[in-house]
Amino acid sequence: MSSIDHHLNLFPPLIQVGHAEQFIQSGKTLLSVQSPLNQSYAVFPSARVASGVEEQPIFFASNESSPSSERRLFIGDTSIIFAALQNLTNTAQSRGQEWCWLHSQETHDVIRKLTLDYVNFTRECWIHTSQTSAQSQGSSQFSGDHYRSLYTCLALFAVLYVPEYGYEDAPVGDDLMEWLNVHFIEPSTEEGDHLSGLDRPWEDETFWPYLVRVTLRGLSKAATFFLATLSTHPSDNLRRLAQRLSPLLQSQPHLQSFEAERDFAYASHRWKDKVKALRIELDSVSESDRHDGIENWWDRLSDIVGILEGRSEVIRRVCEDLGADWREISVSWGVFADARLRRQDLPEVVSQVLDDMPQDPTNLEDMVHAALFSAQLDPWLAAHMADLMQALSLIERDANEDSGLDVRDFYVLGYAQYLHADPALWRITVAYMFSCGEIGVRSADEVLMHVPLKLRFVGSITHGQGEQNGADNLKSGDLAGVIKDINATCYEYQREEVRRTICRIAAQTFVQEKEYGLALSYSSSAEDWPGLGRVVDRVLQEYITAGPEQFTRYVAGIAPSLQALQMQSGAQGIFIHRLMFAVRYAEFHQRLSNQDLQDAAWDLVSMFHDGLTPKSWWAVLLCDSQQLLQHDATLLFPYASACILLQHLEEVIARTDQGSGDEYLRILISKLGSGGTSEALHALQGVRLALAKYFARCTMIGTGGKQILERKFTAAV
Amino acid sequence: MPSATTTEAVPIETAHEDMIHDAQLDYYGKRLATCSSDRTVKVFDVIGGEPLKSSGHTLKGHTGPVWQVAWAHPKFGHILASCSYDGKVLIWGERSQGTADSGWTRVKEHTLHTASVNSVSWAPHELGAMLACASSDGKLSVLTFKDDGQWGADIFNGHAIGCNSVSWAPATQPGSLIHPQQPGVQPSAPFKRFASAGCDNLVKIWGYREDTQSWVEEETLDGHTDWVRDVAWAPNIGLPRSYIATASQDKTVLIWTKDSLTSPWVKTALDPSTASGAPSAAAAGKFPDVVWRVSWSLAGNILAVSCGDGKVTLWKENLRGIWECVSDMSS
Repeated sequence: MSSIDHHLNLFPPLIQVGHAEQFIQSGKTLLSVQSPLNQSYAVFPSARVASGVEEQPIFFASNESSPSSERRLFIGDTSIIFAALQNLTNTAQSRGQEWCWLHSQETHDVIRKLTLDYVNFTRECWIHTSQTSAQSQGSSQFSGDHYRSLYTCLALFAVLYVPEYGYEDAPVGDDLMEWLNVHFIEPSTEEGDHLSGLDRPWEDETFWPYLVRVTLRGLSKAATFFLATLSTHPSDNLRRLAQRLSPLLQSQPHLQSFEAERDFAYASHRWKDKVKALRIELDSVSESDRHDGIENWWDRLSDIVGILEGRSEVIRRVCEDLGADWREISVSWGVFADARLRRQDLPEVVSQVLDDMPQDPTNLEDMVHAALFSAQLDPWLAAHMADLMQALSLIERDANEDSGLDVRDFYVLGYAQYLHADPALWRITVAYMFSCGEIGVRSADEVLMHVPLKLRFVGSITHGQGEQNGADNLKSGDLAGVIKDINATCYEYQREEVRRTICRIAAQTFVQEKEYGLALSYSSSAEDWPGLGRVVDRVLQEYITAGPEQFTRYVAGIAPSLQALQMQSGAQGIFIHRLMFAVRYAEFHQRLSNQDLQDAAWDLVSMFHDGLTPKSWWAVLLCDSQQLLQHDATLLFPYASACILLQHLEEVIARTDQGSGDEYLRILISKLGSGGTSEALHALQGVRLALAKYFARCTMIGTGGKQILERKFTAAV
Repeated sequence: MPSATTTEAVPIETAHEDMIHDAQLDYYGKRLATCSSDRTVKVFDVIGGEPLKSSGHTLKGHTGPVWQVAWAHPKFGHILASCSYDGKVLIWGERSQGTADSGWTRVKEHTLHTASVNSVSWAPHELGAMLACASSDGKLSVLTFKDDGQWGADIFNGHAIGCNSVSWAPATQPGSLIHPQQPGVQPSAPFKRFASAGCDNLVKIWGYREDTQSWVEEETLDGHTDWVRDVAWAPNIGLPRSYIATASQDKTVLIWTKDSLTSPWVKTALDPSTASGAPSAAAAGKFPDVVWRVSWSLAGNILAVSCGDGKVTLWKENLRGIWECVSDMSS
């Protein structure tokens, strides 16, 4: 099967018609890159040889046109029915009772209801689209006729494969005739109106074909009406026979009027006897009275009786004369030739019919495979019908060895791919994908991970107002908009890894935006502790690059997360400690800027004392202590605290001497700027001098510091 | 679906002053990076298939034609890698938008290759920020970026006459989803593996050995009769099978499949003669011209093939496991 469904030509054309050869000769070719966003491709000409100055355009082309207007509505509405069936099968699977479940009446009734829901939706959509396109000339993406054909197919599917429970093995003729009459109306109402307006309708050339057609379609009311008009026909024989024929047409037995099929069969048999009697009467009409000067009425009436008798050759010839197709012959067969025709017998009848009148078979599975799904009709129909058929065990469940997909999944995924042409339909797209085993799950993961998060203003001027509002919500700390939806979807389908990846991306985006509080929330939501550590590092970096004021402001954004994280059991220690340090260090600077020097001094020492401060920050804190040590009014540090400062200072200087300067001085060096290690050491010498002076003051004033120490620590305990 | 004969393609003026060699859309398909013989890389915002006016950035730094660009996973930030005829690989980073100093800056420069670097490819994000590079000096290199801003480089001989392309294997072993891990057993760590295509007509598969901290040649795929232009390892699509597509100067595209970790690679040639409208003269399994590029869709089920005849064809495996051309795009 050759299967090129789409051949895309770029418009406007890159190459003038007839210049393709020249294009190829020039060593250029076309390269493409798929968009992760949807089913579109960026296409551009390229070559390995330089070609000089010329325009270098890139084209965006898409294989699928994304669904619009009424199509979106249709997709959304029918996805609800799809989800309902999914729910049903999932529940059965989880209970491990799939087989029993499939064959229970309750299930059958539900599937039948859902099938009829699809039928009704397509019908609604057909009516709606026909009306709106009549008003506003072709604004719809798909024509009303498109939905009509979906409606017709689904309705036939429902008749053939989803009958009422217990009726699977019942004769199907009447149901099929009803379907034919609803979907392929013949003869037209106009013809009937025209004929009923005539005094002597039989003189009109459409009279007899009309009468034959209504008989064939089982439209007994129309048939008896026009048979009655023959009461003024000049032929006695015809008048009499028409009078006899009418009650026969009206009394043809229909299955639905009987309790048991046996009764129906018996009634059909007796009715056939009456038809035979009429045939005998008909045959007794002399040759001379068979023509009324306009038409050989006898031949026509004989055809009608032949139909009622169920003579296949008559039905076939009549249909050919009327221009009716294989459908009409097959359906009439089930009403007249074999009133007890079963669903399972239909393919044989149809195949015989098709030998003479070729067209696609009513065997739905074949139709599904061939006509519908080669994208002649609509990927929607393929997917939903295949879905129903699997639920009804009409198609193989075994996966193909090579593709790893069963028939249903293949078509459902095909539909999902079509939906992906519109990235805004991602929710529905993944719902379909997640119903398709591991392969579907993988595809859905990719779609989910590539849903744009809309966390930032990319070129905010050109963006719509709505998007900005969404972003505002996000900024105020609410989990809102797209990312909330994606999170919910991940939970629903238990895609934790996907959710975490998305949270990591969000965290990274917020770090770039300097929204550190949000970045922290997303890192912890992803349980990405190293990532959380990096966020804290970035905040600490702000101190170095932007100074204490900015730093304090940023920490205010992340401080609330600390409490939440401390409550969380899984949170890993080391990164939490770094966060605690950042918060404490910001508090220290806050106090410093408020001139709350006493508490600032206490903060500083306790950060050392509690072991919270990373080694790389010791030198920075020590430099911070210098101004407090030099505070003239009071001695801010108790003696013991000053000793702690001294110990740490000694360690920094000693370890730097031993070659670990990078570990201990890294942050201070980057804070001081270009000076490097020597400048850092010089700064620390300043601290040492301040400490020495401080100790000297302590000695002079006495032991006052000790009391301060006790007061503070008592309060802390 | 009615067959489309013309697509409403929107041409984007890139303002490159010479031939474009590569264009890559970022993770969300919202930005397009292009590179050209004019020695520059350009980045555009693309919304709905159209570039925003005046949104382009021009990244200058290469001294020769720029062959390829590659976007890093967004969890590492807005990072772009480019490689050039000048033998350099440059890593570009974007400073946060909306601020006064927004824009792209060169954050790293990789100069270990001695000839044109033809291809760059970022590893699956689970492996961290790693970049594989293929060069005409016959060597392959892998850069590893660490959290603290440090980076390391492994460089080793790949294909004697020159390396054309690199492509990473998915981080999770195929089938690991289908056969759930035993309870209590740690899921296996993501594996570092990639494929390279060379002028020696071979495709080689390289794996990283944690114990020796080195890259080891694991397998050789021998099937092409001329330079292998491009290699593309398919994303893990949920089958217990791996797929690699290779495109060659010999006018063929081969699909290599490996059913399980231990089974051998089996090759199948795409057959363009089954596609309608194909020149009847074309021999079965041969494209009308040199095949330049192969690339997989995100879900790994569609393969785009760029051929020297000016056509891009899209291929999909059908229900019976046969590769069919489902669409083509021509200029």
